[in-house]
Amino acid sequence: MNIGSVKQFGPTARGLVLGGVMGWAFLTLFPFYWTFVTSFKNLRIIVKGPTYFPFIDFQPSAHGWVELFTGVRGEMFKNLANSTMVGVSAALVATLFGTMAAYALTRYRFRVPLAAGLAFAIIAIGGYVGLTELGMKRFEAISLAFAVGLAVSVVLGNIKLPGPLLGNEDIVFWFISQRMFPPIVSAFALFLLYSEFGKAGFKMTDTYLGLTLCYIAFSLPIVVWLMRDFFEALPPEIEEAAIVDDVPVWRIFVQIVLPMVMPGLAATFMITLAFVWNEYLFALFLTNTTWQTLPILVASQISQRGDEWWALSTAALTAIVPMMLVVWLLGKLMRSGLMLGSIK
Amino acid sequence: MTQVTLENVSKSFNETTVISDFNLEIDNKEFVVLVGPSGCGKTTTLRMIAGLEQVSGGAIRFGDRDVTALRPGKRNCAMVFQNYALYPHMTVAQNITYGMRVRGASEDEIKQALANAARTLDLEPYLDRLPKKLSGGQRQRVAIGRALVRQPDVYLFDEPLSNLDAKLRIEMRVEIRDLHQRLETTIVYVTHDQVEAMTMADRVVVMNEGRIEQAADPITLYRQPANLFVAGFIGAPSMNFLPGKISGGTFTGDDGCSFPVPAARLGASGDLPQVVCGVRPEHVLADGASPAKVKQKIKVVEPLGPHTLQVGMVGKVQFTAQVPASRHANPDEEVELALDVDELHFFDATSGKSLAPKKS
Repeated sequence: MNIGSVKQFGPTARGLVLGGVMGWAFLTLFPFYWTFVTSFKNLRIIVKGPTYFPFIDFQPSAHGWVELFTGVRGEMFKNLANSTMVGVSAALVATLFGTMAAYALTRYRFRVPLAAGLAFAIIAIGGYVGLTELGMKRFEAISLAFAVGLAVSVVLGNIKLPGPLLGNEDIVFWFISQRMFPPIVSAFALFLLYSEFGKAGFKMTDTYLGLTLCYIAFSLPIVVWLMRDFFEALPPEIEEAAIVDDVPVWRIFVQIVLPMVMPGLAATFMITLAFVWNEYLFALFLTNTTWQTLPILVASQISQRGDEWWALSTAALTAIVPMMLVVWLLGKLMRSGLMLGSIK
Repeated sequence: MTQVTLENVSKSFNETTVISDFNLEIDNKEFVVLVGPSGCGKTTTLRMIAGLEQVSGGAIRFGDRDVTALRPGKRNCAMVFQNYALYPHMTVAQNITYGMRVRGASEDEIKQALANAARTLDLEPYLDRLPKKLSGGQRQRVAIGRALVRQPDVYLFDEPLSNLDAKLRIEMRVEIRDLHQRLETTIVYVTHDQVEAMTMADRVVVMNEGRIEQAADPITLYRQPANLFVAGFIGAPSMNFLPGKISGGTFTGDDGCSFPVPAARLGASGDLPQVVCGVRPEHVLADGASPAKVKQKIKVVEPLGPHTLQVGMVGKVQFTAQVPASRHANPDEEVELALDVDELHFFDATSGKSLAPKKS
């Protein structure tokens, strides 16, 4: 029989499957096509009603693209460069540190007393409130309270305390929990924090560092969560073989473990980059002119001179195409099968 | 000289004790096989020798070195895993030499070691291949090659043949045995397959529930099992057990059979109300000339070629008998089997211990 081939189904079933697949393909591809053709329309063509085929339905005009590239509609190249720099560096750093955290959480057993965590919360929050009440400036108060809280909790974490112990699962939950509340909650808090930094002389709003740090913090939970799954799927014997062979831990991680999770690494990097690339809310809050990113540019096309759909379409395509290129490049890496032959 | 010593070693995971008060001395160049049913602690013991598990108590020594607190890499042992655990992104040559490179061996040394290992293991044509392009047996040989170039004090094998098919397993068994003779190093080998244990080991350590049931050379294990567990575990098909009692030097089985027992099989013990008589299937006599006879109701007949197995019931217990291939019995038939009284084993049913006097 033709198990695994389309021939095992009858003609009706095959027709249904084909129809379903084609329908889905149309549903996903049409918006892209529509954006593409709209970018070559002008006001006159658009007000006449929907037209679908360039040269047949309407005479395409490139003025939308000319406007985009000449900078009439905002500094596209600057925003593209900003998005690329912030996106790539945030995705790289988040993937790097998140992967290391995920590996540690998979292969090592952590035991942290709940009391140590509570101590941090009480000292950091209580210390900040207390110190500002005493008249200390906010920036100094929050820095001091945070530093003391961290030091105390690190010390407490290493001694035996009464009360429940938190394990790896709790640490992972703590990571994930940061993505559970709506981002707007932290956007406000982050904006206020960055303003205080600014008042103290460290400019964080509308800077490369400020935006990138914020994206790293918000990407880490996803990276840890995704990469942990990939590490858990690895048979520990391969690393144990290296351990018995006296290979240092960092070499095992870099030369043995990372190559084995390359598909996962590529996928995680991709997802993180896409998240940062498309992110709108934080970019809106934390930037104004210098470090504006592409989503801000796309959104700004709506308001400036009414609904100029061709401008919106060109900006949207500028935002979409680089991501498609990245998917195409990393897609090769994402293919699994790297583990073949290692075990049984 | 003692090569590996485990002294009062114990291991617990959280509250569960897996191994308690484990004592074993492994001689230099000895091939020791740890065998037992799954969950008996044999793999845990091996991993403790490797250092992949920390002991909960006791000490482990390699020669005069106390390695109990050493990390695995510093113990100088090499381990071969059941699932090969090759580095999937490295070629065969890279897999074998990776450890040497990390340890900073010179290029000449590496080349030499690789050439030696490849020749020993017949891997020369495959050195540039990735593991996924190899067969199971070749992969296992690469894993062994990785161990060879380490030049360890002790080789540790964790069920290395379990993933191979039956034919290949027999070939690899011979290869590993042959390798041991050429290398002249200590090997600790874990398996659940008693045939593998018997055929390869200088000494077999039968384990059960974290304890050593008996540690002896294969023939002693077979001929003088110390207790019911070892008697039932070693030998295929396994030993038959007939419950009964002994009084005045005569065994009376629950099924009604009765025969005098040679004094050499009983040792100093006198009358016992509850004993188990162990009969290996191959110790059923073909000619029927024996005072010890039991009646078997046949359920299944398994012709194997060289001989035939008759599986059936004696009284209320299952009994397998090995009979000449020429004999044709049918299911549901009742036959009389003669037992070789000099090969019978008697065990105290309550303690499980053998009644035969221990030979030193």
